[in-house]
Amino acid sequence: MTLAAASTACAIVVGGIVGPLLLVGGAVILPAAAARILPRLLRTALLLSLPIAISVLVVNLFFYPAGEEVLFAIGPVRATAEGLGFGLETLARIGAISGAITLFYLTTSPGELVIDLERRGVSPRVAFVANASVQTVPAMVERAAAITAAQRARGLDTEGSVLKRLRGVLPLAGPVLLGAIAEIEERTMALEARGFTRPGRRTLLWHPPDSGRQALARWLLVAAVPLLVAARAAGLLSALA
Amino acid sequence: MTELAFESVAHVYRAGGVRALDGVDLRIASGERVAVVGQNGSGKTTLVRHLNGLLRPTSGRVLLDGTDVASHTVAELARSIGLVFQDPDQQIFAGSVRAEVEFGPRNLGMRGSQLRSAVDEALEAVGLSGEARTNPYDLGASRRKLLAMASVLAMRTPVLVLDEPTTGQDLRGVAIVRSAVDSAHAAGRTIIAISHDMDFVASTFDRVVVMRAGRVILDGPPASVFDERSWEVLRSTYLEPPLPSRLGARLGLGPTPTDEDLIRALKASA
Amino acid sequence: MTLTLDGVRYRYAGAARPALGEVSLELAAGEVVGVVGASESGKTTLCLVASGLAPRTVGGTLSGRLLLDGTDVAPLPIHALAGRIGIVFSSPATQLTGVTGTVYEEVAFGPMNLGLPRPEVIARTESALAALGIESLAGRDPALLSGGQQQLVSICGLLALRPAHLVLDEPTAQLDPAGTRLVADALSRLAAEGASILVAEQKTDLLALLCRRVVALDAGRVALAGPARSVLGDPSLDALGVSPPAPIRLARLAAGAGLPPAAARRLNEALAS
Repeated sequence: MTLAAASTACAIVVGGIVGPLLLVGGAVILPAAAARILPRLLRTALLLSLPIAISVLVVNLFFYPAGEEVLFAIGPVRATAEGLGFGLETLARIGAISGAITLFYLTTSPGELVIDLERRGVSPRVAFVANASVQTVPAMVERAAAITAAQRARGLDTEGSVLKRLRGVLPLAGPVLLGAIAEIEERTMALEARGFTRPGRRTLLWHPPDSGRQALARWLLVAAVPLLVAARAAGLLSALA
Repeated sequence: MTELAFESVAHVYRAGGVRALDGVDLRIASGERVAVVGQNGSGKTTLVRHLNGLLRPTSGRVLLDGTDVASHTVAELARSIGLVFQDPDQQIFAGSVRAEVEFGPRNLGMRGSQLRSAVDEALEAVGLSGEARTNPYDLGASRRKLLAMASVLAMRTPVLVLDEPTTGQDLRGVAIVRSAVDSAHAAGRTIIAISHDMDFVASTFDRVVVMRAGRVILDGPPASVFDERSWEVLRSTYLEPPLPSRLGARLGLGPTPTDEDLIRALKASA
Repeated sequence: MTLTLDGVRYRYAGAARPALGEVSLELAAGEVVGVVGASESGKTTLCLVASGLAPRTVGGTLSGRLLLDGTDVAPLPIHALAGRIGIVFSSPATQLTGVTGTVYEEVAFGPMNLGLPRPEVIARTESALAALGIESLAGRDPALLSGGQQQLVSICGLLALRPAHLVLDEPTAQLDPAGTRLVADALSRLAAEGASILVAEQKTDLLALLCRRVVALDAGRVALAGPARSVLGDPSLDALGVSPPAPIRLARLAAGAGLPPAAARRLNEALAS
């Protein structure tokens, strides 16, 4: 998580195109290859950033305000070299950010993350909510499907006109909400009956392994951000433009 | 007249590739009272959901009066097949009992006095006539289950399918379910019920279909399905024959699936 | 450790009438007491009060006292009672925390919450799993188990807290026959080892096997109380909306049918075995 956050911050701070590309290479591609998820990462990151990437490129190519050197023209709009340059820079940044976030998402299991956070002092109740919100989604989806089936069996037409489908919103959403609320009460009782509301820390059976080197790496990454900001302010990074 | 037929129906769930139905051939004549029994996972629920099109066969056909149900939508099939789900809270959404019961028949196009009488009849059948304006969630869980049944009874479909109608019901609730089944039968409707309650099954239904691992392993009247010769098959799927049939076998009185059968046989043997 | 309900009256928040009106009940150590009654007769409310969830988590007003070994537990918060009284509900899936990947972690959840030292948490989890014989399920994902298995995991989760008493509200209501058998066997095992159990059920045949004493509720009050045999054989059970155990039902029908004495004798002999 620290890597993702730091990469994102650095990508924003560092100007030009070389910087972000280095980041993509070092902070995204290398670790992904090491974790053997490079193809998956590329696919997911591409999928996520494609729409924004296309619009960024197009907008900058044709409408960059400081553009002078014209590459080609389509009717009244002109594509400029400066626009292309800026567009590519931004694309590189986007690549670094989305790559870093995707890397985080693909390599971290929510359960483990939550346990680690709890170990470091996050309240067990907050940790539980974080975990539960992710893990109850499949059950909710299943329930919604069952409700849809029950109402269809009573003649609710889910394959008809838009108006018909609008009328189906209450019979479909109603039981989902009511059921969720009713379940909350039962779940709360079950949790409380197992001592969940006891104030204070709880014993953790295990936590994800950590090492001195990992902790050092984290500190270095965090330190890199203000360093880069200072360097940029001092004009030291123009070489990477 | 509604004849139902399953022809070599197989169903494989896409998620997980589970073969829930493995070649089922079954014919249900109009007006029959059929109980489908078996452990969870034997395919009972999967089977009945093919009747109204909620599930479509992976292979084989399901026929309603000779026509393949594949050519009809679920909404269309709801005119012929009324299916009551096991969990009433998966369908209840209205603010009053009456509004909840009206939903189904309304979808089928009922209005005015026809709608009113269908709803009144259904509420009467489950003993909720006095609660027409009550909020469903002010009723306890077991009466909500009866409400769910009423909401499908009101649709007046020729076929009625009940999924675990007596689970969670007390003595009075079971009696209401039994009498509702009897009334529907008297009105000529076909009744199909999934149940774990062997006593309820033996006393209320003419035919018992036993399923295991997606197949029908026994099919016949209670007297033969609960007869001693079938016990091994029943027990292979963790089902216990009802007490009267066990006693009847021990006393050498032949098949006696219900209390009344046993008493009658005892009297006759004296 | 005796669990006592002394003149307990309870009304849910916003309800017009009390759900329990003057109930007194005692559960001694090592006893298994059954609770029967029609739907909405107060069985669930009784379980919620006996476990302390009512009024703490559920709200509402309680008058009368809940005592553990003679001490009023009113001032204790729910988490303090969690280690003394465990409660199991009828729906298998809602009682699982939903955030654990294995049965082991699920069962360890309670001891973890109590902040016990790690070796203690492990010891308790393993002895709870052994108590119900489900060590083989320890590595499985709770969400993928059958209803009966999930109920066993919930019971284990409570056992790990080493409660003095276990309260069960219709634990087999939503289970198939195989699941019911699993839970029934587990409860017999616990009873044989001296657990104190209060169990509400519609399945009177099950209670006939498990319970020493049975209490019958009617509209929030105790209508019958006494040895299991006599309460379950009481002729007024039908009127209370409770179905008597199958053998008793049969015997009653036979008596009313005017069987010739020889036939009646054969039936009674067969029923006795």
